[in-house]
Amino acid sequence: MSLRIGIDVGGTFTDFALLDGDEVLLEKMSSTPDDNSQAVMAGLEKLAARRGQSLGEMLAAADAIVHGTTVADNALIQMKGPVTGLLTTEGFRDELELRRGYKEDIWDVRLAPPPAIAPRRRRLTVPERIRADGSIHTPLDEAAARRAIERMGRQGVESVAISLLFAFVNPIHEQRLAELVAEMLPGVEISLSHEVLPRAPEFERTSTTVVNAFVGPGVSGYLDRLVERLSEAGYARDLLVMQSSGGVMTREYLRGMPIRILASGPAGGVVGGARVGAAKSAPDLLCVDMGGTSYDVSMVMDGSASADAGWNWHHRYLVAVPMVKVETLGAGGGSIAQVRHGVLEVGPESAGADPGPICYGRGGQRPTVTDAILVLGLLSPESDFAGGDFRLSRDGVDAGFEKEVAGPLGCSVEEAAFDCWRIVNANMTQAVRRTTAGKGIDPRGLTMLAYGGNGPVFAAIQAEELGIEKVVVPRASPAFSALGALAAPPMIDEERSYLISAAAADRAHLGGLWGELSKRAQGFFEAAGFASSEVRADFQMNLRYPGQNWSLTVDVASGSSDQEAGDLDAAGLEKTIARFHELHEEEYGYNRDGESPEITGVRLVSRAAIPEPRFGSGLTEEFRDVTPSAERRANLGRGFETVGIYHGPELVPGDRVKAPGIIEETFTTIVVYPGWQAVVDAAGDYLLLRAS
Amino acid sequence: MSYEVNRRLVRRREPLPSAADIDAVTAGIIRGAFETICYETATHLGRAASSAIINQSNERNASVIDAHGRLAGLSVGIPQLLFISPLAVRWGLEHFAVDDWGPGDVFVGNDPDHGGGHLPDYNVYAPCFDAAGELVAIQALQAHQGDTGGKDPGGFSVDATDIYQEGMAIPRLKLVHRGEPRRDALEMLVRNNRFPSFSGDIAAMVSGSQRGAQLLDELVAKWGGDAVRGAINWNIRETERRFRQEVEGWPDGCYEADVWIDHDTVGNEDVQVHVACTVEGDQLTVDLTGSDARPELTCVWNTFSNSRGYAMAQLVSMVDPSIVKNEGLFDAVDMVLPEGTIVHPPPDKPAALGAFHPACEIGEAICIALSEILPRRSSPQVYKLGMPNAVIGVDSQGQMWMDQGVDVRASDASATEGIDGWGSMCSGLGNLVLAQAEDAESRFPVLNLSREMTTDTGGAGRWRGQPGTRNIKQVLEPTTAVAWMVSKKHPLRGLRGGADGGPYSNFFEFGTDSEYEIENSIQAQLPADAVIAYQYGGGAGFEDALLRDPEAVREDVLDEYVSVEAARDLYGVVLRGSVEAFDIEVDAEATRRLREERGRAGEPAP
Repeated sequence: MSLRIGIDVGGTFTDFALLDGDEVLLEKMSSTPDDNSQAVMAGLEKLAARRGQSLGEMLAAADAIVHGTTVADNALIQMKGPVTGLLTTEGFRDELELRRGYKEDIWDVRLAPPPAIAPRRRRLTVPERIRADGSIHTPLDEAAARRAIERMGRQGVESVAISLLFAFVNPIHEQRLAELVAEMLPGVEISLSHEVLPRAPEFERTSTTVVNAFVGPGVSGYLDRLVERLSEAGYARDLLVMQSSGGVMTREYLRGMPIRILASGPAGGVVGGARVGAAKSAPDLLCVDMGGTSYDVSMVMDGSASADAGWNWHHRYLVAVPMVKVETLGAGGGSIAQVRHGVLEVGPESAGADPGPICYGRGGQRPTVTDAILVLGLLSPESDFAGGDFRLSRDGVDAGFEKEVAGPLGCSVEEAAFDCWRIVNANMTQAVRRTTAGKGIDPRGLTMLAYGGNGPVFAAIQAEELGIEKVVVPRASPAFSALGALAAPPMIDEERSYLISAAAADRAHLGGLWGELSKRAQGFFEAAGFASSEVRADFQMNLRYPGQNWSLTVDVASGSSDQEAGDLDAAGLEKTIARFHELHEEEYGYNRDGESPEITGVRLVSRAAIPEPRFGSGLTEEFRDVTPSAERRANLGRGFETVGIYHGPELVPGDRVKAPGIIEETFTTIVVYPGWQAVVDAAGDYLLLRAS
Repeated sequence: MSYEVNRRLVRRREPLPSAADIDAVTAGIIRGAFETICYETATHLGRAASSAIINQSNERNASVIDAHGRLAGLSVGIPQLLFISPLAVRWGLEHFAVDDWGPGDVFVGNDPDHGGGHLPDYNVYAPCFDAAGELVAIQALQAHQGDTGGKDPGGFSVDATDIYQEGMAIPRLKLVHRGEPRRDALEMLVRNNRFPSFSGDIAAMVSGSQRGAQLLDELVAKWGGDAVRGAINWNIRETERRFRQEVEGWPDGCYEADVWIDHDTVGNEDVQVHVACTVEGDQLTVDLTGSDARPELTCVWNTFSNSRGYAMAQLVSMVDPSIVKNEGLFDAVDMVLPEGTIVHPPPDKPAALGAFHPACEIGEAICIALSEILPRRSSPQVYKLGMPNAVIGVDSQGQMWMDQGVDVRASDASATEGIDGWGSMCSGLGNLVLAQAEDAESRFPVLNLSREMTTDTGGAGRWRGQPGTRNIKQVLEPTTAVAWMVSKKHPLRGLRGGADGGPYSNFFEFGTDSEYEIENSIQAQLPADAVIAYQYGGGAGFEDALLRDPEAVREDVLDEYVSVEAARDLYGVVLRGSVEAFDIEVDAEATRRLREERGRAGEPAP
């Protein structure tokens, strides 16, 4: 039987999902930000204990440990990283600072610049120039290069990014520079743009390479430490690490480009979401994850979450590796409510886990969303919270609301709490609309998948506002990202640039690029123990119309990864171009099919098949209305009333909870708003449906 | 005639009739919904449009305008242009009955003499009615079209003497009647445009405004027309209150400034914008009386609606950014745009280039005037370039190609109190996306040789302007190059004693014996391998450079924003060591003496 463990390290909690055959065990630990591997190891011990095993026995039996981590994100948030420098083409020293003109706020002239990872003194240029066709216009000036590297050395540079124009077409100058750096500055980390992100244009590639140089050593150090601890404890296999693309890959693969794990946090949940949707015949999903500090919105269309590689701004830096698209709103349980200029605002400032909301009783003084829903009766001080770790307390909550909200607005505490609830709802609705608008999709056709500790509290009212008919709350909701990571396939998703009019494209060159990608991917998969027959590959091409900045990715072929990719015939290219015109019409509502598009590059997505957690399917035939185990006074949007309280772990498939109701699960609370009902489906997951 | 129209269009409008009792939270939720609807509408246009200027560069702006023609909400875009639509819509509203407005209608207008900006900026708008059939609000979309059917492709003519040469002016035209497209009207628009992509763009603007109107319909259906009207009133009142509250905190007085444009397109020099900003209690008056009115000026006439928009874009950058942007801003400010001047031209003046200059100088003048009292938020929201260097050639198949030259650059990114100029441009242009060498060189026979910041071109100051880049490009085949230059003689002005940003300059056939400088406008033939070198202007400095922390100057020298010489000459900071050796140190004693010599003894260092 296959034993697999998913681990998701978040800012507040580290979540675990252990899959043994069809059996799933969930666990939650407080994160240990100073050394995240501590919480990981402690949680694994706890899981082993629950199975009646020693840690060593469990790990020795484990077929895979899949890991999602925010360690790269934290390096950027805290700006903790090595002294980083950039070597680039003469004349192009300032791309990083100019950001193609982008600024985050068009209204605020007091927005400060992002901290410079590589300030201008450590961005040094070298005379050299490769042309668009890969030919050498100006040979590398080695003497000048040595002077620049010496200058880096004098500044104590610990990590060097090398990004030269058109290096993705011809890397010879980057390679030579890397040799010189290695020779002159031994021990310094080197990130090469043609390895980290071998594609145009220069700002996207350079920025990604520099961020890689900055977060790389920290990521590598953490992963090495974790691999070592796991191996000492008895784990004999490869550690698989979650990437922002929604796939996982080995530690070895990530060695040259640790940047690929940046923003991988929410990806596990989205991948898991896609599988839940598939199991429940809901291929189009709106995934909403509300935790302690943020509300993450993403979409799964037709069973998959697309990973866009391009204009991805992350913590104020552009990182153009493929990322599952997630819109993040600063609205979570810890979001603080305050009155500014006479207007009530909720978030993005957060009380985090420490001190946390007032009702945690850990010294928090400022009212939060969790405090508001406690006042509204959606949560209760009588019930266990966060799996029974502690109970919420009303002490100080009313005083906090009085001081910060009710007083300034001249209303009661209960009204103030209700206003917080309304504002959070409105903000979340707008975040969803921004996400769906970006894709040109009407949310009414989607199924909502709600998870995270606070997601199910708001899910049905969100669905109501958006016109959505059905909400799925997985029973594994609180550790859903960890479970999702187990569903994520080992995956390598890479691109190679080739900028040319489709009419003039050299098919052999296209084939050569795919061949190169395929060979690379196979090497890593083989090293990780996957036979080439287990690996499937999608051959894709990026195209756009002349004059456009952004490309669309078109599927060309798919098959086993060792399939010869170099034989794209003329008809195949024609078909690809026709498909591009169609796709453009679908995405943007028009096409220019009289024109020859431009090819911007090729992409190869290779995936290995793995045993997945079983996500249960559909509805049971008949429902039984259950009676509440208790009652309390709560405000579900239409004033305080008596609401039935249900104990989640006692509910079984076929049970139905009528509105107004509150289901208290081990790690979460599900609110059944007026006009809705909750049923437990055959898989034990909750469905929130509009009451007919 | 247009003066009279403008006077009427700009008159303050009454709140909407509403009996609804709206609380702050409901008003905020409805306001947020407006912003999201605008975002959806603008995003729809961005996705559906066929020209790059709209679908790639993000030059599209959506706003909600209420039944009285008041700005009720807007989304991201370009601030200057987000404020333009209301007057064009008001002209439409004046004809509500005769034009038979009803649900499902869509209109277009672009006429500078009837509330429009310049001709390329089309305003397309669609009304939303409540259950009782009363008009509640209008979804407006504004976007720049690639052509306007005038004498020159693209709509910018450096020698236009009247608007008819620039293209087709549309005061108001119904494009859709009760959901049915008016094919005659659409055909006429498409026929009067050179670019085949226009039909896709206008279709996208129509469907975008319809989408917005439909979302407004849903909002009104959910809350009721009365509540939505009440919320609009509440938000506009609140914005006016907050703006006035800020003004009340400003010292009373009259703050004046003059800004000059080097020349118009035919060489008339020193075109002047004058502003007097008067603060009296909570009332701010912005008076542009005294601005140039020479009738012979060519192409430097800004349309009335644009002048209002550019002035307001600067003003909102100088107050708390959390103040909601709507009609309350205009309610709080008295704007005097004297008739017959370049900020409020006589009828039929050409308008296309005026949207660059003097439009930007209006903002700059306001910024300079108010910087006296608002140091923390003084940063000119302008672009001082005339036009970037566009190069045009013909490929081997006889197809015309054009590299528009909107390359990555740094220009006019100014300092404000406590923050050095950064990024690439002013904040307001932060949604634009500039072009890349690896894209351009894969398509056009050009080579981008350099676009680094030029040391010492950022205005010196206690806080420093960002240096401008010098964009050097080689054309590999014979080409035509087009340019219009300003801001060499009158670069971006320093604030509160800070130095001016470095000047613009432009050289063709750079580095050869035939090198020449472009003083005004040019259409030149370049031989193969010719190099053109365009120096963008630097950002303005803020306050006296002698007050800059010597350590910050040292950092600037290490980063080569500032030379060792300029550190001494402009900042009074004496440094030892060399950049190359990374051992630059401040000579504290020599610095103290030098600064003392400059007569600044006793002024506290920051």
